[in-house]
Amino acid sequence: MSSEESPQITRRTTRLSAANSENAVDSSKSCALKPLSVNDLLYGNSPISLEELISSFPGRRGQIIELMSLLGPVNSPMFPTFVHGGSSTGKTSIVLNIFRHLRRPFVYASCITCYSPRILFESILNQLMLHRKSDSNGYSSIKRCDKPSDFVNLLREALSGVIGTLQGNAEKAGSKKAARWPNGKMVYLIFDSLNLVKEWEKSSTILPFLFNLYDILRMPEVGLIFISNNSLDTYYADTGFVEPFPFHFPDYSEDDLRQILLKHQVNKNLYSSFLDVVLRPFCRITRRVNELSTALLPLFKKYCEPLGDLGAVPNEDMKRKLYGHLQRHIAPSLNETFRVSAGLTSGASRSKDNKRKGIVKKLEACTSSYELDFHMSTSAKFLLISAFLASRNPATLDASLFDSTGGSDNRKRKRKSSAKSLEQKETTEQELLMKGPGTFPLERLLAIFQCLTSVAEYSPDAEYSSDVEGQGNRATMGDSGYIGSHVLLQLSSLCNANFITKGGSCPLEGSTRYRSNVSEDLVLKVARSVKFPLSKYLYRR
Amino acid sequence: MGLKNPAEQAVILLRSRLCNPNFIFTLFSDSPDSNYSKLKYIISSSVTESCNNSVLLLGPRGCGKLAVLELVLEDLLREFPDMISVIKLNGLLHSDDNCALKEIARQLCLEHQLAFSKMASSDENSQFLIAMLRECGLAHKTVLFVLDEFDLFAQGKQRLLYSLLDAMQSVTSQAVVIGVSCRLDADQLLEKRVRSRFSHRKLLFLPPSREDLQRLLEHALLLPSGSDLPHEFVANFNSKLLNIFADKKFKDIMDTVFNTDSTFKQVLTFLFSALCHLDLKRGFLSVENFKDALSNIQRQPKLECLKDCSILELYILVCMKRLEVREHETCNFNSIMKEYKSIHDSFQTTDYYARDVCRRAFEHLLRRELISFLDNRGHGHSIEFRPVKLLISWQELYQGLKSYGSCPAILYKLVERETTT
Repeated sequence: MSSEESPQITRRTTRLSAANSENAVDSSKSCALKPLSVNDLLYGNSPISLEELISSFPGRRGQIIELMSLLGPVNSPMFPTFVHGGSSTGKTSIVLNIFRHLRRPFVYASCITCYSPRILFESILNQLMLHRKSDSNGYSSIKRCDKPSDFVNLLREALSGVIGTLQGNAEKAGSKKAARWPNGKMVYLIFDSLNLVKEWEKSSTILPFLFNLYDILRMPEVGLIFISNNSLDTYYADTGFVEPFPFHFPDYSEDDLRQILLKHQVNKNLYSSFLDVVLRPFCRITRRVNELSTALLPLFKKYCEPLGDLGAVPNEDMKRKLYGHLQRHIAPSLNETFRVSAGLTSGASRSKDNKRKGIVKKLEACTSSYELDFHMSTSAKFLLISAFLASRNPATLDASLFDSTGGSDNRKRKRKSSAKSLEQKETTEQELLMKGPGTFPLERLLAIFQCLTSVAEYSPDAEYSSDVEGQGNRATMGDSGYIGSHVLLQLSSLCNANFITKGGSCPLEGSTRYRSNVSEDLVLKVARSVKFPLSKYLYRR
Repeated sequence: MGLKNPAEQAVILLRSRLCNPNFIFTLFSDSPDSNYSKLKYIISSSVTESCNNSVLLLGPRGCGKLAVLELVLEDLLREFPDMISVIKLNGLLHSDDNCALKEIARQLCLEHQLAFSKMASSDENSQFLIAMLRECGLAHKTVLFVLDEFDLFAQGKQRLLYSLLDAMQSVTSQAVVIGVSCRLDADQLLEKRVRSRFSHRKLLFLPPSREDLQRLLEHALLLPSGSDLPHEFVANFNSKLLNIFADKKFKDIMDTVFNTDSTFKQVLTFLFSALCHLDLKRGFLSVENFKDALSNIQRQPKLECLKDCSILELYILVCMKRLEVREHETCNFNSIMKEYKSIHDSFQTTDYYARDVCRRAFEHLLRRELISFLDNRGHGHSIEFRPVKLLISWQELYQGLKSYGSCPAILYKLVERETTT
């Protein structure tokens, strides 16, 4: 349709506006979403019974029963409650599912998604006033609210509206539809991830405000629940605040972890024999469910390797065999517990992968891989090496290290070590540990980069022959005096990747200083990949 | 309304009592020298004599300042129906002057059924305020300003306080300013010109005495006979409760509560927790409920945090403690790793993990706030070089290790050894 009309359009249209004019016709045909009602303040489509609730959260029976007693029978007022516990201990999901079981209406706001006071306030008001952001109202909230004073006034209005509707429902309790309605006349506000509020700008007023909200509102039909990672004593305030009722979720014990990890496994017997072997050593490192389940996944695959039939129930003999097969993999895998795999997926890299596996098998003792497992352009690699050298070496040595002879030989300068110089060496080592890498200005970095690239005898491998970028870089590096703008772009992308951090500017010089953040291992890997003799340029004290 | 379990009804009734501060403080309003009567006298005398006044209510949090004020205001509104209008401001919400003026204007409009425009500027609002004060003065109506969190109004330039107190100086206005604050030196925060216009009346609110506490218990927990609960249930409940009050174990529990923190808020939280532990099937409170409530309010958060740590994290904490004992002024992740390696070398522990794993455990500890960075300025540095400090003391660490359960013996030895040397 638009292709026929386009000759008639005299002014230039962008692709976006042309697309929009097409969509305008479609949106009117799209099904309008139902307006929200008080029944939508419930969680989950179907209610669950208490046994289902307790069985779906192993090891949390005590917490569930106690939390339900804190909430109390229907229509009983409650003190504000502060639920705290470590990460992935099930706080949010248990609280939400308790509300699903009790079928009481609530409003949920998480301080992860609501990252500023305005968004937090507007999200709560939208939910209470049953407002859905959609195309028709331009995805705006029902009221603009960024100050706590406005929030309190609007909240009072909204809460009285919802409570009024709930009271009306309660009076019609005998009708058939009542089974789908929420229970009771109380509304609950749940604030999740409250510890993130401590990092907001206005946290010194917002936190006491939220904690005092119950006393400010003075409405007994409202219940407040705060969920946080840290306990109340980490919330500092000058003049204090009204303390809510604390409730602690302890981390899972080993037995609970075993039950949780077994829950969704297909072959429970096999997995349980696997856990017998692995769970205890891994629990010495971390007891968080999310970290354990990701760490155990590759190990389980290895455990099942000798088995022909994955559905088999292992007997003692098989268990011993499987353990024997797995044993030498446990220790290295413990040291990789938190490793996030780079996840190369392209077909070309699969051959690289096999090659790498060969190298790894040869160096079985070393736990880290021998090569870089992510891709960087060649000029970025040289830039990284230059930054590392600039941070490590004192500036006064630059002239001698990077002279035209291509780097002096450090061995010439080695003195015989006497007791005093050994002591000096120790103190300087200690200093290096404590102080960290030094800062350098941009000019020094570019000077070193120019030196390195003019001297480097880099020839790309067969692997990189198809890499156009590699060829392009070869061209610029042969030209010794030329530094293109792409180098500065590479610098800013290295900064974004946190390999180099940009420090504050020195007030005298007025230029920004940079600092390299990478470890020596990574730079060694990078240097190896471009065949750069790093040790010649590294200043050893 | 279906037939509810009488225990459930009783629980709902008691919970609504505990969550309603007005109910609790009516108990303390009868004696003549209580804060209630003094406050009532001050305000009612300024209402009847048509004069201006100001008073500060001071006291620690949870001692009933605002609750007593609410009771007084309720009574006065009943006694002098058309002669009082109340404006309530809160320092947490309205410490900004523009916000405060807007809120005052909104409340005045609400009370006198005038149309309120949100677009009015603060100049217009302040003119409106002055005009209203004049009109109310001429009509012999007193305006009461309640300023909660008074110390937060005293930050910055104190323009609102000055304009309010200044407006009160004119002959035609009749206003009373009541400030409520938990800072006992709130009046020292005022500027000279504000303080000179402020009458230095202060009422001090203190936590209750032991006898008052006993009266509070009975007032709050004994079921009334006039409610619609079955009579014999009420009689049973009350008699069981009085037995508990006379029990020695209960008296010990109450002494502990009183000695740790005897503010009203804490006692009410204690009673609330005891009510939550009430077994609905039995239907009556017991001493065990109060014992459970006591352990609920006597939390040791750092100890709980330590119990949640993994063994690697405990190693890191012990390394930091050893470095601290050796008087290294600052330590960072690298020096902790050096110490960790030296422990492994000298004691041949089985728990020696790679640097990446230790760094992650270090980050977990930071998240739990058992350790923290020394300063926030070092954002440029990577996490390995920023200096950190321990946020728990040696005793807490030692107690945590003892109650850990499967803690390796080497950690006890390391922590113990440092204290004896």
